[in-house]
Amino acid sequence: MPESARRTRPPAPAPGGGGDDEGEGPSAPKVEKPNTDDLLERMRKVDPDQARRYRQRTGE
Amino acid sequence: MILYGLETEYGISRERPRPDYDVVAESIALVQAATQSGVRMRWDYSYEDPHVDARGFRVDALRQDTDEANYFAQDAARPLSFSEIKSDLALKNGARFYNDHAHPEYCTPECRTIADLVEQDQLGDRLVTECAEELSAKTAERDEGRVRLYKNNTDFQGHSYGCHENYLLPRDLAWENVSRGMRAFLATRQIFCGAGKFGWEDEDRYVGPGFQIAQRSDFFSVMESVDTMQKRPLINTRDEPHADPETWRRFHVIVGDANMSPYATYLKVGSTASVLAMLNQVDPARLPQLDDPVGTMREISRDPSWYWDCDLKDGSPTTAIEIQRQYLSLVREVISEPTDGFQLEDWEQILDDLEKGPETTVDRLDWTAKLDIVSTFRDAENLGEEDPWLISLDLSYHLLDESEGLYYGLRDQGQFRQPPGVTTLSEGQFPPPADTRARVRGLCIERFGQHVEAAQWDHVRLRDKTAALELDLRRLFTPEAVAEAVAVIEKARRVADLSPLLFAKPFKSV
Repeated sequence: MPESARRTRPPAPAPGGGGDDEGEGPSAPKVEKPNTDDLLERMRKVDPDQARRYRQRTGE
Repeated sequence: MILYGLETEYGISRERPRPDYDVVAESIALVQAATQSGVRMRWDYSYEDPHVDARGFRVDALRQDTDEANYFAQDAARPLSFSEIKSDLALKNGARFYNDHAHPEYCTPECRTIADLVEQDQLGDRLVTECAEELSAKTAERDEGRVRLYKNNTDFQGHSYGCHENYLLPRDLAWENVSRGMRAFLATRQIFCGAGKFGWEDEDRYVGPGFQIAQRSDFFSVMESVDTMQKRPLINTRDEPHADPETWRRFHVIVGDANMSPYATYLKVGSTASVLAMLNQVDPARLPQLDDPVGTMREISRDPSWYWDCDLKDGSPTTAIEIQRQYLSLVREVISEPTDGFQLEDWEQILDDLEKGPETTVDRLDWTAKLDIVSTFRDAENLGEEDPWLISLDLSYHLLDESEGLYYGLRDQGQFRQPPGVTTLSEGQFPPPADTRARVRGLCIERFGQHVEAAQWDHVRLRDKTAALELDLRRLFTPEAVAEAVAVIEKARRVADLSPLLFAKPFKSV
């Protein structure tokens, strides 16, 4: 598709953001967000080099 | 009638793997660590032939045959037989668990309802997790730490492994209709069943940083072929029905991601089964056709706008959501309500919500949940978009460890919706689906395990002093026939007591 034929792209939605209730159109459903403190703590314990050491054989 | 099942290859590693970490040995040891009762190393490979092509021919060789031969040559140096390397375990829930190349693979039993399938998939996760704990305990002296299992599809270095889906279809649904009818659907369904990935890859290499919505879409470069490990096709043509080939075909889908979210599995398999059920009831000319399905699949996965624009064959522009809506509309024309428990309104709802904004789907979809929590962390820690920590966090989302895995952290806070009808089986429960031939297989394994001489998807051979019988399961598909067979097997005390089964016949060893 020629780029000119594409619709103007909106900026990518911000991860974790909610819907814009004041805009036109239907509002986004409210999604219950978890308490991120515990999760962020869990994530801090993830070794940043973990993926670098992760090697697999090709499977199917 | 559609039966379906999943085959999941898990990634395997250790907390601190050495550079010479042997994934094959580890995978074998993991499968052998299974404590769940079953029949070990009696899987019948003689009936398997992945070279038969649904287009009506048999290929002489698969692209992966050379690789496989090399793997086997390497593995032949191990002090293990072929059966020991595979370590096949046929389980009492009708499932299969074995070492496939270098990955522990769990194949669910055949399921008739979407709730059964999701539950059986979760049993697989539980099984391999228990194996990892068992193996970790046995090898506690090793300085590499505990075994780590990942339900994902890549090592971020270009090595992918699969989560395949299988759908049993009537043979009178022409292959051409299946192939042409499913291309646009499979290329676009990733918008709700992708597992998300921080990184772009090609076959055999890492390309660079960047988020995309699916793990597997980097690894497909061909429209249609029988291969599964190299030059992977959007439409896999393997024709190995594991059923009467005159009546049945098996559609083998290899493009999908392994899903942590049960709801994503529900949407993935439920929508696919619904489309397959629709195919022989509508004019094929009404099905959407993409201009370039394979290229579009990769573009959609990497599209940062999440508009997922694409082109139809006639040159008109559309979007992945619109294509999915077209399929949904065609399904609704011919199917008022799927018989497998899948609810079409859930498919519609996810499309509506994706249109409103992907962030509204973090309670159901893996890719949005992963992106949300990793982005939150990235912002909190002020990390750059290219920080390798993001890839490690991606990997941790798929870690099968309830105390450390990121998916489980989200789940335990109640973030994820449960699909309708799905129950969490309590520890120790390992039942087969109630109304498919898997129950017959599972019951034979449970009651006559030591007398099972060979097991396969479509037959079980049993022998004791009273009789040697082969149960031919190639036509055992109605719930009524399964129930009748179960009644006979539950009363049987000896193999000879299975003789009244209409599909039992004597056999002699070759």
